[in-house]
Amino acid sequence: MKRKHRLTIYLFILLVIIPVFISGCWDSIELNKLSIISGLGWDIDADTGQVTLTFQSIIPNEIKGAAGSNGSGGQRRGDPLHTIQLDSSTGSSAYDALNRYSQHSSRRTFYQHTQVYVFGHSAAQQGIYPFLDSISRNPINRPNVLMAVAEKNASDTLSVEDGMENIQAIGMAAEIKLSAEYSKYPSITFLEFANRLISKTTAPLAPMIGIIEQTAPKGDRVKKARINGTAVFNGDRMIGQLNEDESRGLLWAINKIKKGFLVIPGANLEIVSAKSIIVPELQGDKIMITIAIDEESNLLEYDGHREISSALLQDLEKDQAQEIESQVMAAVEKSRALNADVFGFGEAVHRRYKKEWPDLKARWEEIYPNIEVVVKVKTHVNEIGEIKKTMIKD
Amino acid sequence: MAAGQFSSAVSLSKNLEENLRILREALGSSNDVIIRDMKISSDSNVDTAVIYIDGLVDRGLLNHDILRPLMFNLQLIKDNLSHNHTSLIDYIKSSVLTVGQITVVQDIDIVISKVLTGHIAILAEGVTRALLIDAKGWETRRIEEPKNELSVRGSKESFTETLRTNTALLRRRIRDPRLTFESLQIGERSKTDVSIAYVKGITPESLIEEINQRLQRIDTDSILDVSYIEQFIEDSPSSLFPTVGSSERPDVVAARILEGRAAILLDGSPVALVVPFLFIEGFQNPDDYYARPFFATLIRWVRLLGYLLSIYLPGIFVSLKTFHPELFPTQLLISVAAAREGLPLPVVLEALLMLLLFEILREAGLRMPRSLGQAVSIVGALVIGQAAVSAGLVGAPMVIVIATTAIASFLVIPYAETGTLYRFIMTIAGGLLGLLGIALVSIEILSHLASLRSLGVAYLSPVTPLNIRGLRDTFIRAPLWAMDNRPASLDSPDTRRQSPGQMPRPPKTSFRQGDNQ
Repeated sequence: MKRKHRLTIYLFILLVIIPVFISGCWDSIELNKLSIISGLGWDIDADTGQVTLTFQSIIPNEIKGAAGSNGSGGQRRGDPLHTIQLDSSTGSSAYDALNRYSQHSSRRTFYQHTQVYVFGHSAAQQGIYPFLDSISRNPINRPNVLMAVAEKNASDTLSVEDGMENIQAIGMAAEIKLSAEYSKYPSITFLEFANRLISKTTAPLAPMIGIIEQTAPKGDRVKKARINGTAVFNGDRMIGQLNEDESRGLLWAINKIKKGFLVIPGANLEIVSAKSIIVPELQGDKIMITIAIDEESNLLEYDGHREISSALLQDLEKDQAQEIESQVMAAVEKSRALNADVFGFGEAVHRRYKKEWPDLKARWEEIYPNIEVVVKVKTHVNEIGEIKKTMIKD
Repeated sequence: MAAGQFSSAVSLSKNLEENLRILREALGSSNDVIIRDMKISSDSNVDTAVIYIDGLVDRGLLNHDILRPLMFNLQLIKDNLSHNHTSLIDYIKSSVLTVGQITVVQDIDIVISKVLTGHIAILAEGVTRALLIDAKGWETRRIEEPKNELSVRGSKESFTETLRTNTALLRRRIRDPRLTFESLQIGERSKTDVSIAYVKGITPESLIEEINQRLQRIDTDSILDVSYIEQFIEDSPSSLFPTVGSSERPDVVAARILEGRAAILLDGSPVALVVPFLFIEGFQNPDDYYARPFFATLIRWVRLLGYLLSIYLPGIFVSLKTFHPELFPTQLLISVAAAREGLPLPVVLEALLMLLLFEILREAGLRMPRSLGQAVSIVGALVIGQAAVSAGLVGAPMVIVIATTAIASFLVIPYAETGTLYRFIMTIAGGLLGLLGIALVSIEILSHLASLRSLGVAYLSPVTPLNIRGLRDTFIRAPLWAMDNRPASLDSPDTRRQSPGQMPRPPKTSFRQGDNQ
């Protein structure tokens, strides 16, 4: 009896221990055997259709050197891009290129910390679905990676140094996020992009990154990456872009204004808070969309010589409302021209008119350019700053 | 059975020579056994012997209060008592010796055992009884400051090796007549005095019975330290967690006794055991009660956090680095990866090596002769802290992790040993199975803790089984005036500690009427 009991215990111990040791460390990863990918670029050769993936990976050794601790790192100091390695591989498809890269890379690629996916301009125009598919199929990829479209090639964009961050992609991601925070251009993650793609009527967006050349104080020519527009997609193909004003108009309409600045003739205002709502209305066969925007701002500068008075504030509010309306309308005009529902009007109609939607959805491309859009803006100036009287009087 | 009393008790005979022969035989020829022959009574005709062990008795008392009265004062008395030896002994007991505690015994075995514990025996020719005088007076350590359980505002007294001093320390704190010290002897050869201290009416009777039973079950030849007793009476000898508490502070032991626990004091050990021991007690510290409740609560959380850190940190760090680097924030990952660059050992081995190095340093620091201390600490700090990193053997983040862990492990001293063992287990589990391994070991620890009992009291109470009132002294330390009841889990017959509603508040009418204008 006791013996049997003991046997059970031994068996149990064996059952516990053996799986632990045979499964062991099969999926263990040593950090120094990883190549941490910070940014991924996607280009397609327009002629051959060959896919080129650009891998921007972090070189930890160089960062060690940069951090100033002891160690052997930092051999490539002086090169502004010494902390990252740029490598590319070409293949017939996304995964083909990826596999080719893994084969000639000395370390296992590690995608969990990728900051941005950059699409070359021509690749975006040809359609990025193959890339999206391969990314979303693999659980190691995170849905919160930022998307961006390069003005030219993705590979060039990933090799422009960032003055501040030693990992270029981290700097680029920060720039995109900051531009969204200051309500200049939308930032969009992989997940948001995919959601817009799934909705069929709503057009996916992505900020566009261009490369500018500046003259540094010392006279060197320095390349900088700058966000300069919003790429508009139809399905997975890029069909056009919004400029700065149109991008702002888009953000007003889709309730993505957080803070930022608003310039009207003679004054500059800081947006404190803004809310907007899209209200669709089905009138027979016509769709009318009302975009109601409620904005509050502080006065930052006022160049005129009028005393601050309620009349002046009312004028400022009126001018603001006009400016906002014109920005929104510019975006609307552009989207009509592109026939791309960047605002998600379709989804708004869908939510309100469920029954009619299947019919409308089928004809959405015909309907969209003819939608009547009304913009109602309510503005309010909260604070005027420390001075009330002007220093120069008329 | 308490050792000492042999079953076949040999009575003293009338013949002094015979008695002394038995005593000599029993006590051996050691030169610290002194048998002083003398003749007493006014005629100096009664053969008498004084037996004691040199070093165990107070010499001043022996010379002034025993030998002098016997040999000098007795001769001055001209009464004719000498014809009856038996009444002589009674006379000596009642009128001659100027000492406090005298007992009259007839068994020679009792004489032997008492002499061995510092009594002086007086035997006389023709008398079958012996006088035993309690004259314990050996060299003892003074009451010193506690060395291991420090307190900022609390008393600076700690127990000593002398049982009597320790009971006095407790008695001075609890002047309740119901404070009881039950004593017994354990150890076939060491014959160590053990005292169970409790307050009648506060400590449940059943607990005392249980302790007595467990103590009496011990059948060993020697008890050299109170931890021997701990290991003989603990509830779960195979558990890594202690189920018997201990303290070297009389104030702590007194507080525990007044909560309804019992203490076990041992002659020769400056530490008292306190049972039952609950898990949360490890996180309580005398200063919690001497400081105001807010800070005490914060510090208690710091201790809890520190303990969790000391167990988990290396394991989680290792598992994140080996299995889940995606869980690091990007910037942290980059610096961790930068530090990891070029290191020869896998992370698990690196962690285990550093943990082992720390244990070596700690043990060396504890055991080595004081005079060598500086050398070891300098070498240790240099080797672990600086050289290992700059030589590229160990990453700097790992040194930080291990150092944090090491310091955190000393926040909760009662579980420091347990923490060390689980730290190793966690690190290995994290290195083998990642966070899954950590989770498995955590489940094991939790279910194990929930299954533990200390003398019938659930180890995790009052958290589970939950007792809302009891929580006032767990994650928060409620103000003293709010803790009206003794911990319910201890099942004390007298639950009320104080009358409720004693929160200090300003008087309703000002006592300084003059200011009220």
